[in-house]
Amino acid sequence: MRVLVIDPDQVRAELVAEGLEGIEPLEVRHSALYDEAEVLSFAPDVVVIAAESPDRDTLDSLKESSHGHPVVMFVDRSEPGLAEQAVRAGVAAYVVDGLAPNRIRSILDVAMSRFALTRQLRSDLARAKADLESRKVVDRAKGLLMKERGLDEDGAYRLLRKLAMDRGKPIGVIAADLLAFAGVLKGDAS
Amino acid sequence: MSGLSELRLGFIPLTDCAPLIAAQAQGFFEDEGLAVELVREASWATVRDKVAVGALDGAHMLAPMALATAVEDSRSAVLAPLALNRNGSAITVSMALFEALGGMGADLAGPPPSAARLQALITERRARGDGPLTFAVVFPYSMHNYLLRYWLAQGGIDPDRDVRLVVIPPPRMVERMRAGEIDGFCVGAPWNAVAELEGIGRILAASSQLWPGGPDKVLGVSGLLAAQNPDELRALLRAVIRGAAWADAPENRDALIAHLAGPDRIEAAPSAIARALEHEVVFHRDAAGLPRREHALWFLSQMIRWGQIDANRDLEAIVDQVYRPDLYRDAALSLGPVLEPALIFPDAVEPVRARLFDGIPFDPAKARAYAESFTIARL
Repeated sequence: MRVLVIDPDQVRAELVAEGLEGIEPLEVRHSALYDEAEVLSFAPDVVVIAAESPDRDTLDSLKESSHGHPVVMFVDRSEPGLAEQAVRAGVAAYVVDGLAPNRIRSILDVAMSRFALTRQLRSDLARAKADLESRKVVDRAKGLLMKERGLDEDGAYRLLRKLAMDRGKPIGVIAADLLAFAGVLKGDAS
Repeated sequence: MSGLSELRLGFIPLTDCAPLIAAQAQGFFEDEGLAVELVREASWATVRDKVAVGALDGAHMLAPMALATAVEDSRSAVLAPLALNRNGSAITVSMALFEALGGMGADLAGPPPSAARLQALITERRARGDGPLTFAVVFPYSMHNYLLRYWLAQGGIDPDRDVRLVVIPPPRMVERMRAGEIDGFCVGAPWNAVAELEGIGRILAASSQLWPGGPDKVLGVSGLLAAQNPDELRALLRAVIRGAAWADAPENRDALIAHLAGPDRIEAAPSAIARALEHEVVFHRDAAGLPRREHALWFLSQMIRWGQIDANRDLEAIVDQVYRPDLYRDAALSLGPVLEPALIFPDAVEPVRARLFDGIPFDPAKARAYAESFTIARL
């Protein structure tokens, strides 16, 4: 497990390492500031950062990108109540009351599994959207074949499927190609 | 105890938090029966989280960030009952890039320079095998992100493919440019002027050139405050409106700059802070404080354009939930005798149509079609 602790203070990285003792392999790295090159080369499984760090906006902006990381934030004792309220509101995986070594492992586990779940949901959603889009394209290509070749709906679909099998491409791609070519033949430049 | 209602408000070190700082310094909060603690925060993400959970009662906020809270989870949406400013941001490039561009954009009085020259430079760099230029904005949901993207795309540059866009909090912009990590940024005052003053970069275009009178920050308050303590919210709005009017007055400028430059406030050179206050930032006049639905819809159109939100979302519902001109109007009109000249609300007659530097009008009733009309987009 690779953990990056972004904090001006070295002490917190030591607390995290103490709390994760026994995990093999384990690498806890400490960095005073967010450094993109370092984060990319280290590829942490989870990032631990103070809620008061200015680097939070950078991490937040990576949330939805392919190189986002699960992020755990901890709150200093100077902000009573924030962590509890944040956890209750589901805002983020804030760590209550500074960093207590005996709770670190479970908190990091929760953050990582929640991150994986969110990512899974997002990719499922993207796939569902793509499926829907492909179905629409196939329907339009079927309509075109029915009109131009005088086929019935079933015949149009069988022809598309045969073309797809002959060319070893998904039916959605064949349908999109067909529509694009039909567009060109009709003088539609795009 | 003082007997006053206690409120905690967050701010980020930027000139446009001035109405809050002024209201505090001039005692307007106390006049309204409020004991306000102003807390300087380090990041927009923390401001958002703290307001959402009620650890702050309100804050200086990026207007699109307030809208994004409703997009993500309408239950913890933040309200925007007041706009803090118009204008004040700018696009700044490093001295090296400024020279490579042949010194374009030095005239901040005329129309903004086209990004076409930058596009040509990017093509040359690509042919030479140089890496992409890096530009920074302050947050994904910010006027700065949308303005920079708009300007780049208008010059034929795809902001997601032709340059690298990163997020850096405002007070860190100048140091990252000094370190050579970024070639340009779009940020609020005073950080553009600070870069110029320190000889690190040059301003290419001010937001007042890209969109004259364009929106920027709002006062974001937690939905809880509005629901549970409407009288406190009204008192807060009255004090901030008075702060905005005070901050606009030329005779108060020196005092305002001294307040803003102070410790635990912006902590930048007074001469840098003075610059955007001179001709650009507006806090109060022309009803600048009114949070306009048209502005919110423009932000949402850019969120659609760049793939941040689904084009089929009910935009009107998001705007109605977050933007609350009714609360502003109620508070401002109750100040009637306090504030002269009397406020006028041109939007009551007809909606103001946004028009950016390219002259393409934005019809708030057709935000989706507008988003879909751009060639460079992530729809």
